[in-house]
Amino acid sequence: MRSPKVVDGLGLGFVAVIVLWLAVNFFKDPTYFLNVGLDGLTRGTVYGVVALGYTLVYGILQLINFAHGDVFALSGLVASTMMLTVLSIDTGSSNAAVAGAVVVTLLVTVPLFAVLNGSIERVAYRPLRNAPRVAPLITAVGMSFIVQNVSLALYGVDYESGSELIPQGVAFNIGDVRFTWKLVIALAIIVPALAVLTWFVETTRQGKAMRAVAQDTEASAMMGINVNRTISTTFFIAGSLAAVAGLVFFLEFQVRYDTGFELGLIAFTAAVLGGIGNLPGAVLGALLIGFIQSYNEGLLWYAPGGDWTRSIVFGILIAVLVFRPEGLLGERTPEGA
Amino acid sequence: MSSVSERARGFATGPRDKWIAPAVIVLGLLYPWYVEALQALPLIGDFIPSTESMVVMVAFTMMALGLNIVVGYAGLLDLGYVAFYAVGAYTAGWFASQQFDQVTFSFLSSVPDDQPGIHITMWLVLLVAGFLTLFAGILIGLPTLRLRGDYLAIVTLGFGEIVPQVVRNGDNFFGFDLTHGTFGIAPIDAAGFPVLASFTSLPKNFQTSPNRAMWFYLGAFALLLITVFCTVRLRDSRLGRAWIAIREDETAAAAMGVPLMRTKTWSYAIGAFFGGVAGAYYASFRGGAFPADFYFQFSVFLLCMVILGGMGSVWGVIAGAMILGYLDREGLATIGSKIQDAGLEFDPTKYQFGIYGIIIVAMMLIRPAGLIPERRHRIELEEGVHDTPFYDVQLEGTLTDRDRTDD
Amino acid sequence: MPEDDLVVATKVRKEFGGLVATDDVDFTIPRGAIVSLIGPNGAGKTTFFNQLTGVYKPTSGSILFDGTEVSYLPPHTITKLGIGRTFQNIRLFQQMSAMENVLVGMNCRLHSGILGAIFRFPKVKREEEEAREKARELLVYCGLPRRHHERSGSLPHGDQRRLEVARALATEPKLLLLDEPTAGMNPQETAEFTAFVSKVRDEKGVTVLLIEHDMKVVMGVSERITVLEYGAKIAEGTPAEIRADERVIEAYLGHGVGQG
Repeated sequence: MRSPKVVDGLGLGFVAVIVLWLAVNFFKDPTYFLNVGLDGLTRGTVYGVVALGYTLVYGILQLINFAHGDVFALSGLVASTMMLTVLSIDTGSSNAAVAGAVVVTLLVTVPLFAVLNGSIERVAYRPLRNAPRVAPLITAVGMSFIVQNVSLALYGVDYESGSELIPQGVAFNIGDVRFTWKLVIALAIIVPALAVLTWFVETTRQGKAMRAVAQDTEASAMMGINVNRTISTTFFIAGSLAAVAGLVFFLEFQVRYDTGFELGLIAFTAAVLGGIGNLPGAVLGALLIGFIQSYNEGLLWYAPGGDWTRSIVFGILIAVLVFRPEGLLGERTPEGA
Repeated sequence: MSSVSERARGFATGPRDKWIAPAVIVLGLLYPWYVEALQALPLIGDFIPSTESMVVMVAFTMMALGLNIVVGYAGLLDLGYVAFYAVGAYTAGWFASQQFDQVTFSFLSSVPDDQPGIHITMWLVLLVAGFLTLFAGILIGLPTLRLRGDYLAIVTLGFGEIVPQVVRNGDNFFGFDLTHGTFGIAPIDAAGFPVLASFTSLPKNFQTSPNRAMWFYLGAFALLLITVFCTVRLRDSRLGRAWIAIREDETAAAAMGVPLMRTKTWSYAIGAFFGGVAGAYYASFRGGAFPADFYFQFSVFLLCMVILGGMGSVWGVIAGAMILGYLDREGLATIGSKIQDAGLEFDPTKYQFGIYGIIIVAMMLIRPAGLIPERRHRIELEEGVHDTPFYDVQLEGTLTDRDRTDD
Repeated sequence: MPEDDLVVATKVRKEFGGLVATDDVDFTIPRGAIVSLIGPNGAGKTTFFNQLTGVYKPTSGSILFDGTEVSYLPPHTITKLGIGRTFQNIRLFQQMSAMENVLVGMNCRLHSGILGAIFRFPKVKREEEEAREKARELLVYCGLPRRHHERSGSLPHGDQRRLEVARALATEPKLLLLDEPTAGMNPQETAEFTAFVSKVRDEKGVTVLLIEHDMKVVMGVSERITVLEYGAKIAEGTPAEIRADERVIEAYLGHGVGQG
């Protein structure tokens, strides 16, 4: 239903309240505001990588891959094994050793989870291509539980965290605004990954094929594009992204078998907020959600607090889907959002 | 397997099939009387569920049938059914406990009249719970049901998360304690027959009766029968046909005059109603409404029952629900102890959701129509459906335009 | 005569992003007439149909049906007002029987609700029985005397097309839209169907709008033909006029489509 003017007005009013709230907090303590914001940036970059995985798959298959978040969590756990057990990195290791371990870990986890993700598609989703739309969706939910329980079986209920391995505290300051090591490291790992992704999607043949299939599967097939292979490639890439995000999350926060659920929802909301199927949109949406989460938990003037984060994120999701399903950067296409 | 599905094609395909339903009803009704005999049997005796467990299994079956209306009939993937369970349970908490001890109000209650709080007879509370949940369903449906299948799923999931979160933090609604926060509301009055008790041998209060489990079970069974009756009647009605038309081809259904939003909302509301009744009854049995009972995975647990049994198939959903309910209550633990007796260190209860995930994936890949398929659905899932398929492979003349008004 | 026009579509325009699918089309359908809409593939015929039935909302323009503006109404409301349709690529409810398909068509003409469903009051039972009787008659009328309770997806192709018409007629339409109803039919079935279209109009008082590629059908049954190309109307007139129209011949030759 075309939202009547009243509803549009309500939506705008709501946004105005948020902006006002942010502004008041900013003026009360600008440096604190910015620091909290940078914290949001740190989270937002990780969310962005996971969100890209969701949006890539959704763009090409119109499927919400519920299992993606859990693949991400598992990759974080495997990264912990690589770093802590296999490579024996501990708090005493030098920064160079840690950096080297990160590279080696990525060299292992990225291909591993690319293949795992691709296998999930091959085994669980591909056979259901001609089934009614609910079928692969239901299967994805089941798959999510399976992956989660694999993590549970392998790692139990313990949290794994590498935050003691990386340099603590502040890397540098601009005025009183603190740029933490966490932020620097996150950007150092993620920005190159995004650059590679962008290069791949924009310039390579497979990347172009992905965009073509996302736009029009039938036409792409008729033009000789191997749709199956393109879909597999998409899942490989999404798996790789999950592995990168998993490692960063392990280093900066903590991972557990069920981390994927919450993070998956956050990341998917980010993808929808930015415009599902739209790659820059996913990153933008993720950054926004990162900020929102940090401001919600960190600001002092009338902030609802961490308990309400999940509800707020869902509230955003519902609001976007109802009022602006194409997201911030998406287009109103005949196919819908 | 094929003879079961052939026999179950529709409720009765031949004269001898007409006795299946009555036989099952009688067997089910008499369960408390022969359960101990069954449990004494060698080998399988350990696997026979207790009457207590059966109460829960039956309550879950009611919920699964409610979900079946949404998922199985109308084809809407609802991942947030736990919200309805919660609303039902807390309604019982509001109208049959000491939660609102600011007043003292009693109506045909099974507990003494002088207890503080609102204490209305559970049978009436069930009805209230059903309707409150129905309205909650309509409310949730308003923004949700206009969305496409995958978005619908995620948004229902969202509500399935928000409601428990509200409930957990509901001890301070502007100073008013609505849900008693993480402690939940307890004790909740048990069901009973306070009026009839004075001149029959029916118990005044199930909880204090020597045959507590039996009475709760019989009550649950009666509710289940009502649910099945309503479900079947709905399926074979104008509304039921409209739901199935929507499930098969929403666009064609609209073109045939079926109002989409309204019809979908009905399925959601009625599904919610049964979830609320079941939730309230279960809370009465459990003696409380606790936030820890409400979590996302429960919705998927219910979905697994529907998938296992057969989407849209009443017998199937009952079978799937009883099987999974049993596993949840006793089965996995029993199997676990058998495994440990054999020397292996494996605890299936820890991985129960992984098991349900495997069931879901396996069923979708191997036998999507379920154990006891609905006559229609088996073909739909195995041969593919006409509505916008997984890949939009249509050319000119496609009706995939979302840019349209609705209701 | 404007008062006799069942449908008055004015400057109907439909754009999909940059693509103009319907280009300011004016279109009227006189009450009780049988008119056809033809044009090469991609001309926008079904797109126009979809705007008539509310599946697409026109980007601009107005569509009056029996005096009511319908361009912004949802599909089910338009059906209730009296437009029934079939689909180009048969969209039956495949798993439902023929009887059930027709009963769904009657959905907006029946009244029982949830309470009626559960309690089956006498009034409701009567309504259901009458509906089934009507559905049976309709099925027979449309050439389907048997197999009412079989899964409709397993019916032969020609029967499925007939069933789609029966289902559309069950909505008690004033205007019947038929989207390439004879596609996939053999010549004998096609001839039968052509006669059937006239019969329906004559006996049921239904106005008919036909999209067709089969020129024999078009020329044989239409009282007026409208030709679309690239979403715009390029010609309109009697079969004789259209057959001789330069632009029409050009459009079809240029696209290499069209039979008969």
